[in-house]
Amino acid sequence: MRIGGHIFMALSALVLAMPIVVVCAAALNGGRSMFFPPRDATLARFGEFFVSEPVWTNALTNSVIVAFGAATLAVLIAWPVAYLLWSTGSKLSKALAGLGSLPFAVPPIVIGVGLGFFWSFTGGLGHIWSGVISHAILLMALPLVTISIGLQSIDRAHLDAAATMGATERIAFRTVVLPQTMPYTISGFFFVLVLSFNEFIVIFFVSASAYSTVTLQIFNSLRNGYTPTMAVAAITFLTVSILVFAAVARWGDLPRLMGAEQSKK
Amino acid sequence: MTIADDIKMAPAAPKTPAKGVTPKAALYAVLSAVMAVFCIVPFILVIVISFGRKVDGAGWVWAFTFDNYQRFFVGILWPDEVTFLYLQQLGYSFYFAIIASVLAVLTALPFTLLLTRLKRRTQAIWLVFILASLSMSEVFIVMGWDILLSNNSGLPKLFQVTGLTQWLKDVGWFQILREMGLANPRNVKFKPSEFATILTMSYLVWPYAVILLYPALSRLDPSLSEAARTMGAGRWTITRTVTLPSIRLPLMGTTLLLFVFLLGSYVSISVFATPDKQTTAVAIYSNIRGSNLDAPFGSAQAVILLISASVCLYFGHLLNSKAEAR
Repeated sequence: MRIGGHIFMALSALVLAMPIVVVCAAALNGGRSMFFPPRDATLARFGEFFVSEPVWTNALTNSVIVAFGAATLAVLIAWPVAYLLWSTGSKLSKALAGLGSLPFAVPPIVIGVGLGFFWSFTGGLGHIWSGVISHAILLMALPLVTISIGLQSIDRAHLDAAATMGATERIAFRTVVLPQTMPYTISGFFFVLVLSFNEFIVIFFVSASAYSTVTLQIFNSLRNGYTPTMAVAAITFLTVSILVFAAVARWGDLPRLMGAEQSKK
Repeated sequence: MTIADDIKMAPAAPKTPAKGVTPKAALYAVLSAVMAVFCIVPFILVIVISFGRKVDGAGWVWAFTFDNYQRFFVGILWPDEVTFLYLQQLGYSFYFAIIASVLAVLTALPFTLLLTRLKRRTQAIWLVFILASLSMSEVFIVMGWDILLSNNSGLPKLFQVTGLTQWLKDVGWFQILREMGLANPRNVKFKPSEFATILTMSYLVWPYAVILLYPALSRLDPSLSEAARTMGAGRWTITRTVTLPSIRLPLMGTTLLLFVFLLGSYVSISVFATPDKQTTAVAIYSNIRGSNLDAPFGSAQAVILLISASVCLYFGHLLNSKAEAR
């Protein structure tokens, strides 16, 4: 049974990795077409993706702008909501948190269509800043959850101690709450960053083909056939994800963020 | 289902005395405005526009007509002519989403159970791997499976080179595959097909299934199964009588969430499904961004998708709160 379990896990990992490995290996192709296994292996495609082909460098720049912008904005909106929810627990704060997680809970195509209409009426359609806001709205549920978990993990004794020693709410916030929740805030930031990087359907509706991110660019070329340069994009994105989550696991408590109970080591 | 319900409240912090407009009240006002504008207005727009009317060659105008809904359920020429084309598309949305989500949960369950029994550090490494694959864009996943299933360089080629195709022909299973549309006369052919669509969709949500099941499974009390073991229950009996009943609700909740997520999936279906099995999500796209340019009808379809999703989420919420109450 034990061995059977290991085999099952290994098999799952294999299937999980298979399409990703295939895409990544295809990046090494020398020619213009995708072959697996790759032919005339070369790293020239990396140069094309990062440096020489404006289609891809522009798309990458847009992706980076949207992802970092959205992650910052999402954390900035999520923080006060999570804090109000934690410190007051009022009905209004619950409603705010519920609304904040709504866009993430419905099928993405519906919120994509809705935001598309919204921006076409407010004049934001096709501008990159509206893409930033749209992703922040879509993904703010994530920092909302991680920050809330962080706030819950604060030891009330620390706050009481700060209060006994004469700290005001503001000072206690700065010296106790903020430092202790920092890892969770950063985790939330990174979750948004990575998911925004990879998001497709919402940015598809709000960009209105005026600009393209990497995922949009890849979707556009999906029907015309693949080029190995697209695979480089996949490798880049995968690397970013792994680095980010490894960082979260290294400096944060990933199992706890994912909802495992706290004590077990 | 909302985050607010999942969070256990901390005891109220010491409050500052109210004096006119407190910073907290201002904060509430700003946040409420932000949420109202960005989280409610888009949905309202979709609903309102779904009652609008398309103008030939000139987009659409505001109106209050049920034509779009009538068209969805019985066709535009009703009552003279009835077509269920759009209902059929919704049917395929459900069909693909149900099979793919159930499949994902069934395979993710044993995996997650095994995962929670590992050491905390090993768990973290697995979680990094799973999160990385979870965050991979749908376009990359579809690209990967597209290459894997393609006739020239993917699994079909592998089948042929290793002689698996010949073997299938010899034992007679090849004919069955042909009848299922998974083979042409010479070799196996995996796309476009339902098989490829469901495989990709299932793959897409599998990491989500693990992540969603993980909290429930990692909180399972090991002493329960140990107690059962000391009373002489076999491993299978323990799984059936102790483990499964205690995770029944999160299991169903997870399936529902994945189902809702897959209802709107677009890329896998547009690439892998045959044209006669396209779903509502694809129809929404072609009405709003594609060739049809019929935003009101696309909105009506989006509203129907939203209602289907909300009903499912509501039941998921009921299940979850039941699970919490236990």
